[in-house]
Amino acid sequence: MRASRVLLGLFCLLICAYLLAPILVVVGASFNAGPFLTFPPRGLSLRWFAAFLNNQVFIDAIARSLWLALAATAISGVVGVAAALYYVRFATRAKEAVRVAILLPLLLPEVLTAMALLFFFYAIGIGTRLGVGMLVGHVLITLPFVFLNVVTALHGFDANWELAARSLGANPWKSFRRITLPLIKPGVINGCLFAFIISFDTFGISYLLKDVGGATLPLQLFDYLRFNFTPEAAAVSTMSIVMALIVVVATEKLVGLKIERF
Amino acid sequence: MTARALAAPWRPMLLIAPATVLIGVFLILPYLNIVVMSLREPATTTPYGSGFSTGGYAKFFADFYYVGALLQTLWIGLLSTLVCLLLGFPLALQIVRASSRWRALLYGIVLSPLLVGIVVRSYGWTILLGNNGVINRALLDLGLAQTPVPLMYNSFGIVVALSHVFLPFMVLPIMGALQAIDPALEDAARSLGASPRRTFRRVVLPLAMPGIQSGAILVFVLAVSAYVTPVLIGGMRIKTMAVIVVETLIDQFQWPLGSALALILSAAATLVVVLFMRATRLRWK
Amino acid sequence: MTTVSIQSLVKRYGSSTAVNGISLNIEHGEFISLLGPSGCGKTTTLKCLAGFEAVDEGRILFDGRDVARLPPEQRDIGMVFQNYALFPHMTVAGNLAFGLEMRGRPKAEITERVRAVLDLVQLGGLGARYPRELSGGQQQRVALARALVIEPKILLLDEPLANLDATLRDEMRTFIRDLQKRVGISTLYVTHDQAEAMTMSDRVVVMFGGQIAQVDTPEAVYDRPASAAVARFVGQANVVEGVVAGANGDRRIESTLGSLPMPQRLGMTPGTFVSIIARPQAIALTAVASGTPLAGTVAARYFHGAFIDYRIAVGEQMLNVQAVPPALHEPGDAVALGFDPARLWAVEAA
Repeated sequence: MRASRVLLGLFCLLICAYLLAPILVVVGASFNAGPFLTFPPRGLSLRWFAAFLNNQVFIDAIARSLWLALAATAISGVVGVAAALYYVRFATRAKEAVRVAILLPLLLPEVLTAMALLFFFYAIGIGTRLGVGMLVGHVLITLPFVFLNVVTALHGFDANWELAARSLGANPWKSFRRITLPLIKPGVINGCLFAFIISFDTFGISYLLKDVGGATLPLQLFDYLRFNFTPEAAAVSTMSIVMALIVVVATEKLVGLKIERF
Repeated sequence: MTARALAAPWRPMLLIAPATVLIGVFLILPYLNIVVMSLREPATTTPYGSGFSTGGYAKFFADFYYVGALLQTLWIGLLSTLVCLLLGFPLALQIVRASSRWRALLYGIVLSPLLVGIVVRSYGWTILLGNNGVINRALLDLGLAQTPVPLMYNSFGIVVALSHVFLPFMVLPIMGALQAIDPALEDAARSLGASPRRTFRRVVLPLAMPGIQSGAILVFVLAVSAYVTPVLIGGMRIKTMAVIVVETLIDQFQWPLGSALALILSAAATLVVVLFMRATRLRWK
Repeated sequence: MTTVSIQSLVKRYGSSTAVNGISLNIEHGEFISLLGPSGCGKTTTLKCLAGFEAVDEGRILFDGRDVARLPPEQRDIGMVFQNYALFPHMTVAGNLAFGLEMRGRPKAEITERVRAVLDLVQLGGLGARYPRELSGGQQQRVALARALVIEPKILLLDEPLANLDATLRDEMRTFIRDLQKRVGISTLYVTHDQAEAMTMSDRVVVMFGGQIAQVDTPEAVYDRPASAAVARFVGQANVVEGVVAGANGDRRIESTLGSLPMPQRLGMTPGTFVSIIARPQAIALTAVASGTPLAGTVAARYFHGAFIDYRIAVGEQMLNVQAVPPALHEPGDAVALGFDPARLWAVEAA
């Protein structure tokens, strides 16, 4: 018994090493003193962080990714919570169709969804202008995560609570705001967090639907890494990791993350 | 007790309306449009011509380049899913059984690839896997190899990187399923005379199956449609279907062919998923 | 004054009819129980009253006003749920204040009324606790308080004692009834437990298959059930088939057991087929003497402490007889059955 527990622990340690390896490599490489992207870093310096902070292209890309992620999360949040409420409460024959439809962007190749939107927006004359296609694409791929998380939270929600609230004089909106929402908050927060991270990190949609000069951070990094061999891109990556960590830790402190079912 | 009849009949409709509009207009319609697009005539100066033909599909079957790429993509997807399963299940088990302090840490580590960004982590792998990369240099320095071992620009490298990227998507559903298992069930099995091993095989594993299924399906679909990782790790030497599709679209400006290829990829992936679901449902029901 | 009037209520779910034409008046201050087996429509009736289900046919009047179109929050009801449904993210005081907040009462008034109701249910000082920190019985009382503090027109209880253990259930039964009497609020209580219904109610409504079988005081339902089904549901009953015979002044019922005295207060004519209902306490057992017309054998005996349960085999039938200790008859003994006409009842055979 003990042996198998120890083995499991050891195995997991190895997996953790596997999970962290590329990250450590990139973070390490960003401290290179020289102009070569190597690991372990040759000499330690913060020059590449300074370089990136002066690089307007990257700053713009980060800002764009942040705005996009916030907007997509906000929209997905509202639409997703409403859809989850509908799915769990008002069980009709169309129920499974709704679920599959919402999960479709997750189940089909992202490339397909990106293409579909590209052609569609060209067909209606907007093309890639105004960033509309991009936003819609991001909403579509983040929606499943909000939906799934809120549905899980609702399954643990006793319908009687809402009925009790109604019996005490609360109309449907008040009952939702004072009773339902606070109690499903962990699921909503979890879902929105996932949505934010997914949007911030997505490549396919952004690649096909980007406007001229409208590169998001993943796109910018991609470009840089293919043709530019300085550690500057590594520094940017490290910064984005730090930012993501800040978002997660802040959320945990403010709201308290629960290890929800996916 | 549902809150069904309470509100006016239009209330539930209001809840699902935004999602319906969003999906109907921006998903269903565009998907249908892609099918139409795949049947259009190719053209040289514009993305697509004015007539209709099944030329795109014919081209796929005629040219082994495409068929081979599809098979290779599916194969890479299957391998990645398998690796994720072999690594992800023990990890999920450990997280669920760990004390809460370790659990938070492990959970964070599992999510870390997601936090880091797809470009970053794929790039990290290129640093690790390259001929002049960390692993090879370590192997050469330690005398374990005479020449650099080709870890990149081949299926192996892609599978390693993809498994890394998608491991969280396997771990989370399995964790969910494991957490839902009533601990009393294991006790009951033990009290009936089952050894820990048997309890695991006959009680825990079957009950975790839904999570395993979800995880496997998710990872497979994601692995088969991945773009960034195969591009960075595979380079020019090996191209997956997603890479070819994007090339056809952006570089060659051939929308009908690109659409056909994308649809074929999706259909193939869906077929595999459906077969998988049939197979596992029969066994574990 | 009639607080609530239900008129010909019909509620269907798809092709099945859960409530099939129920009419009932609840007077001010009355404690009414809806009693019946699961599936009889009692909970559905409650839900229709509360507004959680829409009505297909019929009317529901609160103080003369038709509320069928009104959503639950506008009906001025107080509901106690089977699993209490206390809001887990609010303290006890928060839970109690909720209904008053919905009614827009000022803060000072809310604080005072919450304090008063906590004292009323003997939970004074526990306002700052969370529901999960309370015992089952305490949660039950909070649920009650939450429904009462808003001073609704009617109190609705949906099998509130089902989740409590036996001793607590007994305690809460008297607690709820005493509280209700003190506050004087019209109450509708749904239960499948006949002991609850009998001990707590002013009137009992027995329901089967979506319809009302009998509405009466507990004594009347027990002593003068409207049918054999009602008799069997409310306590134990021995049901014997027979036919009325004999001339005026000397009515008998010729039954499958033998000739039984006919209860005087029944005015049935000879030739009527009847079901005789004899409660286990209404049959006396004596040692067999020769020529005793009604006799049987003791098949089994169960000792309950306060009384003894006998199973007596008479021909093909098995009768339940209850007697006070000490136990005089052994299994296997032959016994004579004595039927007291004052305590017999009969209904026309279905």
